[in-house]
Amino acid sequence: MNLELSDEQRLLAETARAFVDRHGDDDAWPTMCDAGWPALLIPEEHGGAGAGLLDLALVCEALGRGPIGSPLIATGVLAALSIALAGTHEQQDRWLPALATGTTIGTLAVLEPGMRDEWDEPRMSGADRLSGTKILVPWATRADVIVVVTVDGLRLVEMASANVQIDEHAGLDGDPLAAVTFDSTVAESLGTGDGAVTVAVVLDYAAVASMAYAIGAAERALELTVQHAKDREQFGRAIGSFQAVAHRCAEMRAEIDACRYLAYRAAWALEHATAPSEAVTTAKSYANEALRRVFLHAHQVHGAMGFTTEHPLHRFTQCAKAFELSYGGTARHRDRLATAMGLGRRA
Amino acid sequence: MDFAFTDDEETFRTELRAFLDSEVPDWWRGMFVDDERAMPFTRELCSKLAGRGWLTMAWPPEHGGSGASVWKQAIVREEMWAREEPRGPQYMNLNYIGPLIMRFGSPDQQARFLPSMARGEVIWCQGFSEPDAGSDLASLITRAEDRGDHFVVNGQKIWTSYADAPADWCLLLVRTDPAAPKHRGISILLVDMTTPGITVRPIDTMAGPHEFNEVFLDDVIVPRDCLLGEQDHGWDLVVAGLTFERVGIARYARAGRVIELLVEYVNDAGLGDDPIVRDRLADLYARYEAAKVLNYRAISMQAAGEVPTIEASVARIHNTQLEQAVGHVGLELLGPAGQLRAGDRWAPLRGEIHRYWTRNIPSTLAGGSLEIQKNIVAQRGLGLPREP
Repeated sequence: MNLELSDEQRLLAETARAFVDRHGDDDAWPTMCDAGWPALLIPEEHGGAGAGLLDLALVCEALGRGPIGSPLIATGVLAALSIALAGTHEQQDRWLPALATGTTIGTLAVLEPGMRDEWDEPRMSGADRLSGTKILVPWATRADVIVVVTVDGLRLVEMASANVQIDEHAGLDGDPLAAVTFDSTVAESLGTGDGAVTVAVVLDYAAVASMAYAIGAAERALELTVQHAKDREQFGRAIGSFQAVAHRCAEMRAEIDACRYLAYRAAWALEHATAPSEAVTTAKSYANEALRRVFLHAHQVHGAMGFTTEHPLHRFTQCAKAFELSYGGTARHRDRLATAMGLGRRA
Repeated sequence: MDFAFTDDEETFRTELRAFLDSEVPDWWRGMFVDDERAMPFTRELCSKLAGRGWLTMAWPPEHGGSGASVWKQAIVREEMWAREEPRGPQYMNLNYIGPLIMRFGSPDQQARFLPSMARGEVIWCQGFSEPDAGSDLASLITRAEDRGDHFVVNGQKIWTSYADAPADWCLLLVRTDPAAPKHRGISILLVDMTTPGITVRPIDTMAGPHEFNEVFLDDVIVPRDCLLGEQDHGWDLVVAGLTFERVGIARYARAGRVIELLVEYVNDAGLGDDPIVRDRLADLYARYEAAKVLNYRAISMQAAGEVPTIEASVARIHNTQLEQAVGHVGLELLGPAGQLRAGDRWAPLRGEIHRYWTRNIPSTLAGGSLEIQKNIVAQRGLGLPREP
């Protein structure tokens, strides 16, 4: 066992962090593409970097510190991994190199009205034509290609030529989300089979990447909170010298550390362990709840100022909530974890 | 990063488990029980472990160890703590009393004290807390007067586990210079517990007998060659020792074992499909995994030659609250019969969960309270100002 990052990973994390500190709110996507980040998970034979999920997670963690929104997870995980896992050679050759450079933006459409969450059964069906609405699709507004989950398998819709209506949701300040309505829209099968195994793997990867992003946001929120606790004086002294305040900060540190190492382990497990989903679902079960506590503390210490949009805290709070509500809530993951623990198993 | 134990480590764990399965008797419930068999059993087991080279395996060879990796040491701690620490009090020798002597002791002290620890033949206790020095440990007043070739010790210690085992030796914190600021003027003495003037009084607790003692010291004469480290500079040793202790106990391992017992219990009771039961147990399990991975982070730092401080406190913050949560939720899952103690014929799981809950009521106090751990994280980790 060794929980230290490699020298290359440290360098990658530092590079990503320096990038985030430099960029602020600009459209950072072209620079991210130049850095090769959309290519991280894509196999080398398709123009990717063939790196690991932990590498991508380190980049996502740095981005969360901005927070810098980008179609990195949509393109580099949701679309690229779906196509890499399920696509035919032809489909891989066609899409993966373009997704790797980031010149093509992709995403995955899973949710439909009435579905409880991403693990619920899809309703949409269809072979070479799709009709109906997918909701909460990340980055659909800018996507060139959308992988669509249907009961009959995965479908690939090329946006340029397709008859698709996109309505952006009013949501949290995280990834832009949209409702995507198909009306007898031309689609092609992505590989064969029902795609359920692929979707499960892709959701696990995306859960870890988005967790890393939320952890970066939480870390930045802790830094803001500690700074505020040092600077803000009441009763003639810095409020951080009151244990009631200091202990909230310490709890934030303890919770973020737990989330971070559970996330790193989940990233490792997806590529090395025999039962990787258990590590992912453990991390998600924990982090969903822990990040709530982290942001309750952050807001309490910041006082009313943290609730204003003049102060940056609200952006990190929204990132964390968007993470919690995506890729499975606490109840879903605890139920999955309970099964992995052997609950309900008959002797 | 690599989150897996090596094949060699896994093989070792399997061997150790097989050994413990055959050696630890069914009646063993840890040290804090009214059972005369407990103490002789731990002594016997420790000498068997020593015979296999498993007792002080992580110690350097010159002190009777085999220089095993910190990960093998972690495996030993996990397997022992999951079985309620069949090494009894001697885990303290291995984890920090021995290492403190290795780091700060004279060659004579090392030659005198370490071999008996390595053979598993000696019981040590730790005289730290006093009635008026708990979280504010540095305000301790047990006095050791310097009389040249010896010290004369007067005072009182409390919450001293294993003193009535009986312990052979005590790592005793004393004040040698009452005029110095409180963190200065403290020294550590290695005290023979058979010295005249030492009185041990057991304190009964909710968890039963033998958990805690008071130790009274009246004109106890301690030779100068039993002073550990520099006189008046014992606080530095305390800080080092407490850091060893925070990563020295695999508290999460017993919590994990209790969660397994609960899973079996609810499955047998036909509650394994109950959504609320599943939710409660999965929550505990996620918290167990969080505590475990944070302990592994601290151990990984040790493996890299670093000393975990903040990281040790963070791990402990998780460990101790996990223990309490597992106790509370465990009893809730047993329902009204959770009230029944070990020994009652209707007690579910032979009263194991009841005992686990009880004995972890003070777990957020031992070895530096939860509040002290949070102070360490806030002040040393985050740079927040001290309370004036």
